[in-house]
Amino acid sequence: MFRLLFARRADWAALTIACVLSVTLMLLDRGQQARAAWFLQHTVLAPVDAVVGWVDAGVGVYWENQKLKKRLAQVQIEADATRSERLENARLRRLLALSQENPSDLTAARVTSRSLDRLGGSLTIDEGSREGILPNGAVITPEGLVGRIERVAPHEARVLTLLHRDCAVAVRVGRSRVDGVLQWEFGENPVLSLLYVSSQEDVKPGDWVFTSGLGGIFPEGVRVGTVTRVGIAENGLMKDVQVKPAVNFRSLEEVLVSLRAGAGRGPRMLPLESSEPDSAAAPASAPAAVAAPAPVTKRPAVVVTPPPVPAPSESTESGDGQ
Amino acid sequence: MKGLRDALVLLVVLILQATVVHRIEIAGVRPDLLVAFVVYFGWMRGPIPGVIGGFTVGLLQDIDAPGPLGLNALAKTVVSFIVAKAGFRVHRSNVGVRFVLFLTAMLVHDLIYFGFYTSGDVGGLVRQFVFVALPSALYTTVLVVLLLATVEATSRTLLLTDEG
Repeated sequence: MFRLLFARRADWAALTIACVLSVTLMLLDRGQQARAAWFLQHTVLAPVDAVVGWVDAGVGVYWENQKLKKRLAQVQIEADATRSERLENARLRRLLALSQENPSDLTAARVTSRSLDRLGGSLTIDEGSREGILPNGAVITPEGLVGRIERVAPHEARVLTLLHRDCAVAVRVGRSRVDGVLQWEFGENPVLSLLYVSSQEDVKPGDWVFTSGLGGIFPEGVRVGTVTRVGIAENGLMKDVQVKPAVNFRSLEEVLVSLRAGAGRGPRMLPLESSEPDSAAAPASAPAAVAAPAPVTKRPAVVVTPPPVPAPSESTESGDGQ
Repeated sequence: MKGLRDALVLLVVLILQATVVHRIEIAGVRPDLLVAFVVYFGWMRGPIPGVIGGFTVGLLQDIDAPGPLGLNALAKTVVSFIVAKAGFRVHRSNVGVRFVLFLTAMLVHDLIYFGFYTSGDVGGLVRQFVFVALPSALYTTVLVVLLLATVEATSRTLLLTDEG
């Protein structure tokens, strides 16, 4: 009869047996329950516990790894910010030093925007006529010449950099005192070219180039760049000289602006922090002349106010027979 | 073969319950994957395997549980049996049916569990039910429904649906 009942109602029978077992276990006293639990734990559950423990350690390591990765990323961001601030601090210190060398002549400004063109060519700074900035004022950094002020608004000004075709600069080669005009030339590979240098003149790669003050716009003795290539022009009369600017225009953030538009004695330049711009352009013999260029070291660091010069156009500078 | 696969799935669920669940708790609410497994197992396999599975899993859980030995076994046995009987005719792949069945089954399980646990204290039972059972059942149900959908989308062999 039981067999028949079990066959017909096997599911109910299973339920009943399981429930009875469960309730029996529940009705055991605490000591018996503890012994039963201990038995089950050390027989049935032990292998499962071992696997669980092993996986838990792995999962724990994975979880901790994820947390540490997040923390590392945060620390990396903080470190980057600190590094950026340190670099900014160093830049500002150099600007300040340069400004203190020429207290009445320079004012600091921050670059607020750059030319939309891929090649660059102009910048906007956050200082203007209210701060005493005049058109054609020289714009420099501790590394060298940036360009000149083109237009001035009350609280901002537009700067034409050396990489603009309207910003030609009268320059002089530091070693051989050869004069020329530096101008950006558009082409397949845009470069700064030193124009009007006779094929007989002494210009070599690695020579440093400074402003000569002859154009009437830029003050004398401001570092501009280094000669990177010297060749002979097609007509055979002139040298084809290429110059790499001392300033990295892509990373400009702060500049100093000369408050005295026009030529005259330029600000006393600080020595470069490294033998930039690059080892190919500046051979081992060059840097000594870089840190102390002839026009700078031979003359006292006194700002000489030039006689009033009518603001000339750039075509005047590049075409006035320098 | 079927038993081996069931055992492997149970082992995976035990491992997940022991290693992952406490790391994904939300405001102190943890999912109970073992109840979900018992419900699913009973639903897919039928009453007798469901009863055996429910009792076994419950007993394993009882070993570490603070309550009396056998309480989880009883609750899970009963729930698995009810689900196996009630879910026999329902559409198993419907998400809404799954949600309702899992939620109801887990609430019934907790009702039995906390009913015994609180020993007739209705206030305590209501508190446990509202603040522990209901959030946990909801969390578990949502998790299991999503998990099943994910498993279905990747591999049907992991589902226990080919027998039943």
